[in-house]
Amino acid sequence: MAISAATKAATDALAVNRAPVSVGAQEVHRWMQSFTWDFEKNRTKYSTKYKMANDTKEQFKLIAKEYARMESVKDERQFGSLQDVLTRVDAANRVHPKWNESMKVISNFLEVGEYNAIAATGMLWDSATAPEQKNGYLGQVLDEIRHTNQCGYINYYFAKQGQDAAGHNDARRTRAIGPLWKGMKRVFSDGFISGDAVECSINLQLVGEACFTNPLIVAVTEWASANGDEMTPTVFLSIETDELRHMANGYQTVVSIANDAAASKYLNTDLNNAFWTQQKYFTPVLGMMFEYGSHFKVEPWVKTWNRWVYEDWGGIWIGRLGKYGVQSPASLRDAKKDAYWAHHDLFMIAYALWPTGFFRLSLPTAEEAEWYEANYPGWYDMYGKVYDEWRARGCEDPNSGFLPLQWFIENNHPIYIDRVSQVPFCPSYCKGASSLRVLEFNGKKHSFSDQWGERMWLSEPERYECQNIFEQYEGRELSDVIAEGHGLRSDGKTLISQPHTNKNGKLWTLDDIKKINCVFNDPLKAL
Amino acid sequence: MSIEVSGGRRGLTDPVLSAEIMAAIPDQPLETQRKMNYFMTPRGKRINEYEVLCCYTQPTPDWIPGGLDWGDWTQKFHGGRPSWSNESTEMRCSDWLKHRDPAFRWHALYVKDKAEEWRYTDRFLKAYSADGHVRSMDPVWRDEVLGDYLGAFGFSEYGLFNSHSSVVRDCLGDTLRMSSAMIGLDKVDNAQMIQMERTFLAKLVPGFPESTDIPKNEWTKGAIFKGSREVVQQIWQETYDWNEILFSGHMVYDPLFGQFVRREFFARLSSYYGDSLTPFFINQMQLYFSQTKGITTDMFHTCLAADEQFGAYNTRLMHAWADKWLPRTLTALKDFMGIFSKIPEIKGVSDKPAIEAALHRVFDDWKHDFADPIGYQVNTAVLIKTVLSGLK
Repeated sequence: MAISAATKAATDALAVNRAPVSVGAQEVHRWMQSFTWDFEKNRTKYSTKYKMANDTKEQFKLIAKEYARMESVKDERQFGSLQDVLTRVDAANRVHPKWNESMKVISNFLEVGEYNAIAATGMLWDSATAPEQKNGYLGQVLDEIRHTNQCGYINYYFAKQGQDAAGHNDARRTRAIGPLWKGMKRVFSDGFISGDAVECSINLQLVGEACFTNPLIVAVTEWASANGDEMTPTVFLSIETDELRHMANGYQTVVSIANDAAASKYLNTDLNNAFWTQQKYFTPVLGMMFEYGSHFKVEPWVKTWNRWVYEDWGGIWIGRLGKYGVQSPASLRDAKKDAYWAHHDLFMIAYALWPTGFFRLSLPTAEEAEWYEANYPGWYDMYGKVYDEWRARGCEDPNSGFLPLQWFIENNHPIYIDRVSQVPFCPSYCKGASSLRVLEFNGKKHSFSDQWGERMWLSEPERYECQNIFEQYEGRELSDVIAEGHGLRSDGKTLISQPHTNKNGKLWTLDDIKKINCVFNDPLKAL
Repeated sequence: MSIEVSGGRRGLTDPVLSAEIMAAIPDQPLETQRKMNYFMTPRGKRINEYEVLCCYTQPTPDWIPGGLDWGDWTQKFHGGRPSWSNESTEMRCSDWLKHRDPAFRWHALYVKDKAEEWRYTDRFLKAYSADGHVRSMDPVWRDEVLGDYLGAFGFSEYGLFNSHSSVVRDCLGDTLRMSSAMIGLDKVDNAQMIQMERTFLAKLVPGFPESTDIPKNEWTKGAIFKGSREVVQQIWQETYDWNEILFSGHMVYDPLFGQFVRREFFARLSSYYGDSLTPFFINQMQLYFSQTKGITTDMFHTCLAADEQFGAYNTRLMHAWADKWLPRTLTALKDFMGIFSKIPEIKGVSDKPAIEAALHRVFDDWKHDFADPIGYQVNTAVLIKTVLSGLK
């Protein structure tokens, strides 16, 4: 075999230096942009009105194996903590019961968001033309699988080791019964995956992740820890380390379309719609989960919201994108108003519909009521005195025959569902900015609670046809709905959901609900 | 005490907070059923951790078979197309959530395996370089075959990787979505390992071209990969049915073309040309191939062909897809036969009888693992004869 000049050179080099040589991840990654090729039908399967640039780079330059190494190290730390020290100190049984219930919702609903983000970033991976940009989205696809598994692990851990497994153990089956589910699907599911690919990226990465994961995944850890829960910070802060790369992906999406003429025409409208879509649900629901789903409070939700959403995201993050023509959403001002009262309004409705949940809800205690009044002056006159009335009528006692929903009916305060956000609202009894708007289309009535959602529906009603729970359940008796949705504990008669977390309180059964004979009506039919 | 706590006080360790929390906790657990997802049917005797963490994460309504939700989508595509729909594939299934990765890998297990492979790769490359193995490599094999044709094959792997993007978006099951993302990542890992080998060689062999320019030219303009390039492009960008993408890529093209190129060409021949480096990478790719085969045969054989309600229909459809993709794959292999004229022939290794034997191994494996389980009739001798007609 003849020795080529190159082989001789290799032999000579070895004679001089026998130091071991390897290849680093960056040495491979730097060729990635050249991995693709042009061909006639090379185009995305998902339409977008924007044109993503062919030379877009990614900020976190990972290859598959290096990605796996990085995540594996984080997993070792996280699962080591959970399975070792936290288990040995029986941590799941040292969490305040109210927070134990909140985690049934927070962890499962976040899991839905993470799961749908797998599909969303799959679509973006398809839509991008630059290999580096594809690679950034690919990393996120894998991250979202990780986060789906991690969120599931929280429920799994609480179910296996905690004080009340019901709801943790079957959230994926029972979550669809209640009034919070459809709204969650809008922001965390369909809003991420159904639409113009760039619009979905804006929903997921520019708003969902850059704006609301800070309160949802970071701030929540302070509330969890204060209430005895160290499992959630262990998992959620590990999730958050990946979110930074996702925010960078959102940033790069904007960079990739910055020079496209469509961006100057549509980007700010899409951003405004995405922001309103996300905030319409997250602002009230997160505030409700933090404040009403905890015993020990960290700070008023409105302060958290102002810091993370208004100042950090609306000011600093969007400000950084200003050079690409991005402006703070016009709806930010209205959202700021929601941050003060909307979660109080929503809790009132959620509590009124408590039998449809997969978790236990509690009315504020006297000391909590003092805290609300001190932080939200006027709270007692609007909400506190109603809760006193409900409590006096025995809303926590299964023998009372009283569901708070009756109070709304007796006082002629109908509860509607906003067609676009699927968030329930009571326009005649609220301190938030909700106002009833009703429109008719194709022989069907639709209710709306704000101008931003109404505008979205007016321009594309075919995107928002989903039935709401009152339309779905109309004419059906409440206990039937609960039984069909599997809202019962393993004894086959006690409800998963309860209107209190009092350890000495009686638990409601399906028979207790059946006796009340509560039948659903569609409030739109009365108009 | 105040219920507002500040300064990072923790309920688990702060004695005052902890005492109040413990006083509120029920004396006995309120629920005895502690198994998450207790309502599901496990693949084995018991629900395993993979099934706990992955199954029923998909929030689809019950009109997509297997779903637990109800009603419509809360937001649809412009024009009203639904988020996910049964119409996204011609296949029918009575439970789209039935698929299981036979290795039961959820994310943590998947990345742990790959992280170990990365660490071992790094150690191997250091030992290989320090030991001077590269001196024994045949220069023609190294400079032309590895430099040009192995590099060009990386584009096949990269194109197949991209074909998974729309599958990850559109498929109707949670476990399948996760599996598809993982087998997609394995494909880009293959492409990256090929470039890694070329970069490594460039470090050891002065003048060895690290750039992707020559391989890309071979892939896009050369005759050897013409047929495979066309198949990959068709799978990646011309196929919209997500099941057909998986079937064409992983049930036809890769078990035939990919297996021949990786196992029967690069892995088998490399040792005859003094190359112990390439098999190190190819063997990782073969591990991924094996794991992928487990996933896709579970989906197409265990779930779809054996579906009590739709199995017969699905099997007919798979036959139709095999009829469509097999001739294209044969063309790809036939074109690839041209590579044997580029290397020094070694009797009994790279001559016609040896190539024919290699083709028999690949086609027999394919018949056994992929065609027979769905009753797809093939005459492998005829197929091999077609491929061999491409030998120069």
